[in-house]
Parts: sequence; C-alpha cells; structure tokens
Amino acid sequence: MTETALAKGSVWIRAALGTDLPEIMALERECFSNDAWSESAMQGELHSEHTSYFVAMLNQSPNRDVLIGYAGLSKVSGSDQSDVQTIAVNAKYRGLGLGRRLMEHLLSVAKLKLATSVFLEVRADNPVAHGLYLSLGFKDIRTIKNYYQPDNVDAIVMQLDIPRDPVHEPIVLGIESTCDETGIGIVRGTKLLANVISSSMDLHARFGGVVPEIAARAHLEALQPTLQQALAESGLKLADLDAIAVANGPGLGGALMVGVGAAKALAVGLGKPIYAVNHLVGHVGADILERGEVEVPTIALLVSGGHTSLLLVRNLLDDVELLGETIDDAAGEAFDKVARLLGLKYPGGPEIDRAAVGGDPKAIRFPRGLTLPKDMEKHRYDFSFSGLKTAVARWVEVAVDSGQEVPIADVAASFREAVVDVLVTKAVNACLDNNVPRLLLGGGVVANARLREVAAERCAKNGIELRIPAFSLCTDNGAMIAALGAQLVMAGREPSMLSFGADSTLPVTTVQTLS
Amino acid sequence: MTQITLSIDTTSGTSVSITQGEGALAFVSQPNGLKHAETIGDSIAKVLKNAELNPGDIDVVAVGRGPALFTGLRVGIAAAIMFAQAVDAKLVGVVSHDAIALEKYRLDASLPEQPLFIYTDARRGEIYWALYGGLDHHGLPILLAGPSVGKHQQVVDDLTMVHGQITEVTGAAFATWIGRAAALQQAAGVASDDVTALYLRAPDATEPNPNKAFGKRVSS
Repeated sequence: MTETALAKGSVWIRAALGTDLPEIMALERECFSNDAWSESAMQGELHSEHTSYFVAMLNQSPNRDVLIGYAGLSKVSGSDQSDVQTIAVNAKYRGLGLGRRLMEHLLSVAKLKLATSVFLEVRADNPVAHGLYLSLGFKDIRTIKNYYQPDNVDAIVMQLDIPRDPVHEPIVLGIESTCDETGIGIVRGTKLLANVISSSMDLHARFGGVVPEIAARAHLEALQPTLQQALAESGLKLADLDAIAVANGPGLGGALMVGVGAAKALAVGLGKPIYAVNHLVGHVGADILERGEVEVPTIALLVSGGHTSLLLVRNLLDDVELLGETIDDAAGEAFDKVARLLGLKYPGGPEIDRAAVGGDPKAIRFPRGLTLPKDMEKHRYDFSFSGLKTAVARWVEVAVDSGQEVPIADVAASFREAVVDVLVTKAVNACLDNNVPRLLLGGGVVANARLREVAAERCAKNGIELRIPAFSLCTDNGAMIAALGAQLVMAGREPSMLSFGADSTLPVTTVQTLS
Repeated sequence: MTQITLSIDTTSGTSVSITQGEGALAFVSQPNGLKHAETIGDSIAKVLKNAELNPGDIDVVAVGRGPALFTGLRVGIAAAIMFAQAVDAKLVGVVSHDAIALEKYRLDASLPEQPLFIYTDARRGEIYWALYGGLDHHGLPILLAGPSVGKHQQVVDDLTMVHGQITEVTGAAFATWIGRAAALQQAAGVASDDVTALYLRAPDATEPNPNKAFGKRVSS
C-alpha cells in the first residue's frame, strides 16, 4: 500500500452502520489490545443519539471494501462541547494521512453541530497522535495521571476551540394584526429592539368581545403611528431593515389582511424579502427574545381571547404539532362572558382576577370540561369552556331565584379555578405523556396571576421547567413575529412569495407560508 | 420634472398604476374583488417593473379611499401608507368616486349638462354614490352631494327633486384615474394626505344584552 493509492480515492469515509460492528471490533482489539472496548459498549456508541461514527473503507476490488479505520464524535444537543470518543487506523495504513482525514471529518461534523470546543484524550506515550492533534490546532490543557490502565499511562487532555462563523444577525420588522392588537416589533437576530403594541381593546369593551370589523378598522388607523413608534424605539430607519415578517394567520380575516397588505407594500417599497409566519408559532418564538433560543422539545400552552391551544414543538421551524385546542370558546372568551354575567367589565380576565380576591376557589365545584374518562379518550388535549360558562350562569340563576345574595368573589374564584385547573392539568399531561420536560406559556390569558401560580406549582411538582416570557411578549405582539422571521432568515430559508394570502385557519404545522 | 405617482385602488378589484401627469406609464389590474391581500404585493412589484422604475423613483403615492366594501378597501390603503413610508413619498388620498367622475368627464365631452350621478355597488341592496356638477377651473369634478350610501331608487328620487334630471353612471375606479385626480388636486393645491377609509357604514355590532344572554342580570 502506498500513499498514492490512498490519495487516488480508493479510501473513502462514510457514516458507520450497525453492520460495520464486527470489522470495527476486530480493529478495536488489534489497536487497543489492552483496553479495548467491549462489543456491547461499541454497539452502544454506534447507536447513541449523541454520537457520530465514521469508517474509512479501502476499496480493494470492485466488490470488496475493507474497513481500515474508524472514528467517533460525541455531541450532546444543547451543549457547546464535543468529544472525540475514539479513533483507530489499521497499523498497515498508518502514516498515510488517514488519521488526519478522519479527524478533519469529525471536526467538520462538530462544527456543523455548532460545537464551540472539541475535547480529546491522548496517551502520553503516543507522540505521533499527539503531534497530529497539535497540528490540527488542539492544545494541551491538562494531564490525567495513570488514566490508561492497565498500562499506567497518563492521558493528555487536549482542546480545540472552533470559532463560530460570524452569524449575520438580520434586522427584521414584524407585523402582527391577527386580532385586536396592532403590533410592530423589530429584532436584530435574537435581540429585541422594539415592541410597540396598539390595542383596540377599549373600542370592543361595550360589545363584550372583539368585534372583527372594529378590530380591522383600528389596525388600519394604527399602522402608521405604530410603525413610527417602533422605528423611534429601535433608533433605526426603514432602510436598516433586512427583512419583513408578517403573521398571515390564524386570526380574523379582515384584520389579517390589513397586516398582510401593509407588510407586502413595505417589502416591495424597501426591496426586502418578506416572510409570512404563523401567529401561534410566533407565540412560541417569543421565548427567543428572552433566552436566545426556544429550548426544544417543549410543550406550549397558548391561551388568549381567540385561542386555547396545546402544541408540541420539537423544532420551531420544522416540527410543530397541534396536540389539542378548544372545541368551543377560547379561555379568554370564557373569562369575558362570565365577567359579563357577573356584571363585570371587559376584558373579563383582569376583572375576574380582581373580583376573586378573598373568594374561595373551592366554594363551588364547577365542571372541568373534557376531563371525564370518556372525554379524555377522544379529547385528551382538547378544551371546552362553553359548558363551564353555562354552569356558572345556572348557578348564579339558582342563587338569584332563591333570593340569595350572589357571592361574587366565590363564584369568580371558583370559575377561575376551574379554567386554570383544566388548562394546567392538560398541559402537564402533555409534558408527561410526551416525555417533554418543558412547558412554555403564551397568549394574553397568561396575565392571569392564578394561571401562572398553578402552572408554577404543578410544573415544579412534576419536574417540568416552566417558561413564561414577559407579558409584553406573551400578548399578541409584532416582536415575536419578527423573532420567528429572523430565525427563518438565519436558517437560510427562502423568503415567501408575494402571492401568499391571509389564512384565518392557518394550521400550526405551517410555520411559514411560502406562496 | 413632473412627479411620478404610484396609485392604488382596491375599491373593487386590485388596481395599481404609475402615472406622470396625465400619462400612465404602467398599470396592473386584477378584477377579482376577493383576492386583494394576495394580489397587492405582486401588483406593485409588477407595475414598477413594467414602468422600469425603482421604488425610490416614486414621488407620490395616491390611494382610493372608497367609499367601498371594507375588507378590500383597507388592503389598498394599508399598502399605500406603508409604501409611501418605505420610499419616503408624499401620500395623497382620493375619493374613488371623484376619480370616476373625472374620468367620465374627461372621456365623454358629450355628457349632458345635467349633474353626473356616480354609483357603485354597496351590497345589501344599496349603492355608494356621489353627485357631480361638471369640472371646475382646475379641471376637478365639482361635488354636489355625497359621497354617501343608500337605496338606489330612493337616492335618485331625492336627488332629482333637488337637482332635476341627473345622468347615472356606474363603474369601478381604476388606479390610473386616482393618479390623475391626485395630480390635478396637487396642482390645484387641494390634495389631502387624509387616507381614512370611507366606510360610510358603522361596523356590524350590537351591544350584548346580559338579560338575554344569561337569563338574569346579576349585580354585586
């Protein structure tokens, strides 16, 4: 075997397969006679979700490849560190640059997996390998005495820092107009620069709920001032923007169309790309602005006047699953309706909260929608608040008929407890069933103190990490839309075509509408 | 140098045009009265391309304010506001019926002397209308009554009582006409940056009656 033969491409490197195990073990025993890994340990390595193993195959004849080397890298997702697990080259083929090729392969994988440092241990009595690693840029960081047994040989721990490619952090403006808030936010990469929200809530107050036409009219009037304020807050000019993002659904059709029309004209006028993004996934993306990323997998419970949805997010841009949603009223709507029934103002959430002060949440056992065993079979993660609303109405009616004074505080506290209980129970179930250790809350109802309190209690009890972004990022806002748009830009996704429409029933599986 | 105007009208379909004075450099018209949000972006991009202009070449953005059906109307106005902002152009709002009247007078010199009644469909058995009495010395239509919304026959009967015989004309506004009207208004010094939508109808919404919704009102 000569160096020329290797250079000719007769040796190729590919990902290791389960079927390579016998040949790998043969080489393992040959190279590490004293301290070879067992076959089961090697098998575990090859199949671990954290490792990437590669083999060097020598093409001896047209139909015969022989394994002459292998190497493995470990990188736990979420960690910046990566470890070289092992590397071995058949003694007959050493000194031909194959070890370097395998190492370079591992390092490119580490870089792809966004590791910022790679560690390895090398026998202190192997100057050739040590020299190779030094030449690849590794540095000695410490020595572990008698690490290799039974030979009593020291290990030199080495580290290579991989400079992260300077990621261009795009400046993205996001427009949100799905319901009654006109939101314009600006982000740079994962950093919040401006988040301006103009709400038409007061205009809906006397109707006891959002009136779509009033919301749409208000969006049109709010556009220009909201944009001006967002630019002022960020200290940027429109020319500084790299892209426009807009929520094109789900939401109220007429309201959505204002945002979509505005965003498109802005994009064409500025000559910048546009990204049509999903409003609900935007709520999940809000966490990026506080943490730099959305840790996945996560369950997301989104509760507002328009939505009550449980999502399983395995990947923010590519894998969002709707586990369940309300089959009738949204939770926020239930608060509004019950508030009205109790003679309280709109919006109902904060009013019920105030009325519930001093009330006994256990005074009245209101029904928990879709929690009976038969319902749980079909609607494990779905919600229903319509029956609850009726139950409160009936209870109050009976009390009034019997001449009692209605204990507003107890009714408010008991009603709120029923809503919160069912929301949190189902969200925690979703975490436990799917083995997801995280729960993210979003939507305007997150402002409800009792919801936050119960979620915190039950998440702590079940070892679930609870994330609640700041309220200005929980309620409908443009910053979360911009943040999701920026993720798409940074992931190198194609912009949306200008032909996309507003989709009032856009499914959560469509994170970006392309056309 | 005569200003270059990009005009948008979404009172019926989606219509976008680039004009310079009286002349149209390019226009794109999509008659579909439902797909405003889908169409608006491509329409603006296409009209710029056809006119071989960059967004930055636009000096004025004119938009039809209606009266018209709400949903589509808003898309055009929202787009006009944002486009003007993006290219730092002057924004001009034009009553769409003024633009239709201007065009009718412009095209048809044989129009009778009697007032011109411009109307468009407002659904629910009603029309959006405005009445004009010729062109003023700036060449702009003189508004006699409206714009307003009402039952066609009723409106015509009422107007005839006051103004005598009227000539009835219907038709959709086109962006090119909006652009011409805006240019004349600017020359006359009467152009307005008010782009408020002319809805002429209150939103459909009724205040809830708690007694009806829940049987009994409760007060604490």
